[in-house]
Amino acid sequence: MPKFEEDMERELRFHLDEAAAEFMRAGMAPQAAYAAAERRLGRRELIKDECRDTRRNIMLETTLRDLRYGVRVLFKNPGFTLAAVLTLAAGIGANTAIFSVVYGVLLRPLPYAQGSDLVVLHQKTATADELRFSVPEINGYREGNKTLTSVVEHHSMVFLLLGKNIAERVQTAVVSANFFSVLGVEPKYGRTFVADDEKPGSDAVLVLSHNYWLTRHGGDPSIVGKVFQMNSRAHTVIGVLPPIPQYPQESDVYMPTSQCPTRSSARFQQNRNGRMMTVFGRMKPGATLAEAQADLSAQAGRMAQAYPESYPRERQYGIVARGLRDELTEKAEPLLLVLLAVTGFVLLIACANVANLLLARLLRVERELAVRTALGASRWRLVRQLLAEGVLLSLAGGVLGVVMAPLALRALVSFTERFTTRAAEVSIDTPVLVFSLILAVVTGLLFSLVPALAVSRLQQGAGRQTGSRSRGRLRASLVVAQVAVSFVLLVGAGLMVRSFQKLRSERPGFRPEQLLTMRVTPNFYRYQGREALDVLWQRVLHKVAEVPGVAAVATTANAPFDPAGIASGPNNTEFQIEGRPVSPGTLAPTVDITGVSAGYFATIGQPLLAGREFTERDDNAALKVAVINDTLARHRWPGEDPVGRRITFDAGRTWIQIAGVAGDVKEYGLDRPAGDEIYLPIRQAGFSGILIVRTAGEPLRMAAAVRRGLAEVDSELAVDRVSTIARFQEESMAPAKLTAMLLGLFAGLALVMSMSGLAAVMALAVSQRTQELGIRLALGAPRGSVLQLVTWQGMAMTLAGLAIGVAGSLMLTRFLAHLLYATSATDIVTFIGAGALFLIVAGVACVVPAWRVMGIDPVAAIRQE
Amino acid sequence: MLQGTLDMLVLQTLALGPMHGWGITQRIEQISESVLRVNQGSLYPALYRLEEQGWIHSAWGATENNRQAKFYSLTARGKKQLATERESWSRLPGAVGRILDAEV
Repeated sequence: MPKFEEDMERELRFHLDEAAAEFMRAGMAPQAAYAAAERRLGRRELIKDECRDTRRNIMLETTLRDLRYGVRVLFKNPGFTLAAVLTLAAGIGANTAIFSVVYGVLLRPLPYAQGSDLVVLHQKTATADELRFSVPEINGYREGNKTLTSVVEHHSMVFLLLGKNIAERVQTAVVSANFFSVLGVEPKYGRTFVADDEKPGSDAVLVLSHNYWLTRHGGDPSIVGKVFQMNSRAHTVIGVLPPIPQYPQESDVYMPTSQCPTRSSARFQQNRNGRMMTVFGRMKPGATLAEAQADLSAQAGRMAQAYPESYPRERQYGIVARGLRDELTEKAEPLLLVLLAVTGFVLLIACANVANLLLARLLRVERELAVRTALGASRWRLVRQLLAEGVLLSLAGGVLGVVMAPLALRALVSFTERFTTRAAEVSIDTPVLVFSLILAVVTGLLFSLVPALAVSRLQQGAGRQTGSRSRGRLRASLVVAQVAVSFVLLVGAGLMVRSFQKLRSERPGFRPEQLLTMRVTPNFYRYQGREALDVLWQRVLHKVAEVPGVAAVATTANAPFDPAGIASGPNNTEFQIEGRPVSPGTLAPTVDITGVSAGYFATIGQPLLAGREFTERDDNAALKVAVINDTLARHRWPGEDPVGRRITFDAGRTWIQIAGVAGDVKEYGLDRPAGDEIYLPIRQAGFSGILIVRTAGEPLRMAAAVRRGLAEVDSELAVDRVSTIARFQEESMAPAKLTAMLLGLFAGLALVMSMSGLAAVMALAVSQRTQELGIRLALGAPRGSVLQLVTWQGMAMTLAGLAIGVAGSLMLTRFLAHLLYATSATDIVTFIGAGALFLIVAGVACVVPAWRVMGIDPVAAIRQE
Repeated sequence: MLQGTLDMLVLQTLALGPMHGWGITQRIEQISESVLRVNQGSLYPALYRLEEQGWIHSAWGATENNRQAKFYSLTARGKKQLATERESWSRLPGAVGRILDAEV
């Protein structure tokens, strides 16, 4: 029973007992006495009802009265109301937008059935963190585990879609038949794969991704049953996926494993070292990640024992199981948490600002409050009115903020897309709105609490003087807090900007300007074998070189700053140096191999430090040669000339002679130091696929002419990802740039808010002190020194805030450390720069309101009441 | 009895010291020499109302017979309110008298 009800019952019972006792003293029998007492009191349930009503009515009435009063007050002060609502709208809007991203990416359950049971498996060794799986390994884990209900595989391939005007490159995921059923994905149209689709010799079938279906096939609802001509084979569309984040990567179409020529060959299926597939699985209900990890590690141990030649001890093979959610959001999470913290700070500053505005207004109505207190208005009542006013303000701000949030959301989503495929799930929906509502109410209570405290002190304090002085202190401490928090944000943004500048000023090691690039994919069914491809690429190189405006042309397997290359990283291939055998039980050195055509170094402007670069004569019949980069040369041949030395990738069956040393190029991003690199000529090493053209003029204007040249070589060549290397470079820096811009935006917002708070407090201080300042002037104080006096008051607040802000930054910026490039989290230049900027802005915010001192007429000021 | 009258009587009673609901009914009847018979059922809603208005305050305590009862006492604002009401009440007889005189 609630306390109120219980008290009521006890109270009435006591009354009855006493009344009955009274009757008994008058000589009544107990039963009659109770009956009489009850008659005298009346029906207890009715009394209780009336008591309840009384309480409810009073509460409702006062709440309504408080709200009405609040609305009236807010409309009576439109300037104040507008300033407060806009400030709150900015704060709550920013938080709503960021929270919707945090919710969509980190909190919302995965859009797969029981997504928390899905785990991703990685093999790791002493040198590689994310090794893929071979068919025998997949079978081993599938059959030898006790904690998973199913194991699924995935690898990606490139197919050409023919039969349209131009050949189209289609990113294809090759998956086991249980792929979609394990994820729990229901098709939007048609069906997904069944076990029969995976049997050797079954019909070629396709499932389209939602995005591919929408953008390339116009969202055609009758697409199921259509036949696509892909790489000279007919494939039937059997289904379309709903919009889901695709793991492990975004693909255009899905095929069962039986349709991948490599995957279905008997030799590959037996090759334990043919590690090509990504693997994930579903845990049994109730199994934990730790249990799955232990179970899979045990299986890894059994396999290592059974096949020691595939798992040499020194490589330290192991397996790691991770939750799919963590895998999908691992890059986005730290950044989103930083943004959430930053917008939280912005909201705190907004709160302090509005609290200060409320305090300032309170000062103006101080007399009215004093009168009302004298008339018997309770302190609680005044506090309640202030709280009602605050909640009204913040609800108005919240509504406006929620209306504004979607404007920022698009930009925010495209920013988040760079870090996680879950960005597509972000939207402002019920949970986000509930969050914003709660945020608005809490915010309102928070900032009206400060003036409410001031009011209660007003009542306790004996005189008016103490009240306004302590409120002056309160306002000053709010400003100090604002300055401190916005300084922290400014330092954070400053660090990101500085990190970006450092990144930007890194030299790439070649000349990225005026380099056109495109990906060229031939129909591999028509170019089988190395010879055929060699002929094709030679014809491509010759043809493009003839296009007017082309200064130089080359091909490569991985262009510098290519987003695909950055995503996959260096390929860490093992090699051996002649005369330096790898002793048993130790690891062979590894290196990143890139196949490039003749003239590649000259084309991109990568300098040659020694020896020669590749020519067309470096074909399969000639001596096998390589060019290494400076890092590898200094790493493996310190103080020696590596030109003429020999290395091997196949344990000495083929020796490759180093023909030259090229300068270092940061091909995997400016933030990654150049690693050991070996370039091999494509005529000897095989496949390339990226065309790089140095143009005389604007590169993209040459794209059409180059494509015409390619079509003349073979009309079935698929050309896509037409761009420039300079754009790739910009793109590789975009996350750093956008993060700096985003933090800068919030820091700017915080700065504007806290400085307007400072200016408002200064203006109020000047108007409050007019009389005193007038006396000073009348007594002969120069106006300049009076101005100084007033300004100093504001600067003192700023300096106090800066001191706290510096301490806070030293504590907090370490959480940014992992986002920074070549910049210390306590970078002195940033701290000094942010401090200087702050002092200048604060100086303006102090002097402008203080300037009114210059206009004070001493006589009028002193006469003022 | 008018609601305002009961309120004032309760405040006046509590001005003498903290008292529980039963005691208040007793005392009002005593003081008014049983002329004013409090409708016991309407006392409690009135007490709740006065408490919500902040004029009186309640707390559980022990009676002389050592029984637990809810005691009501006057707050500072209650005292002020009582003074205001007293003033208007004391002016009332004069005003009524003048009206009666005018009619004669």
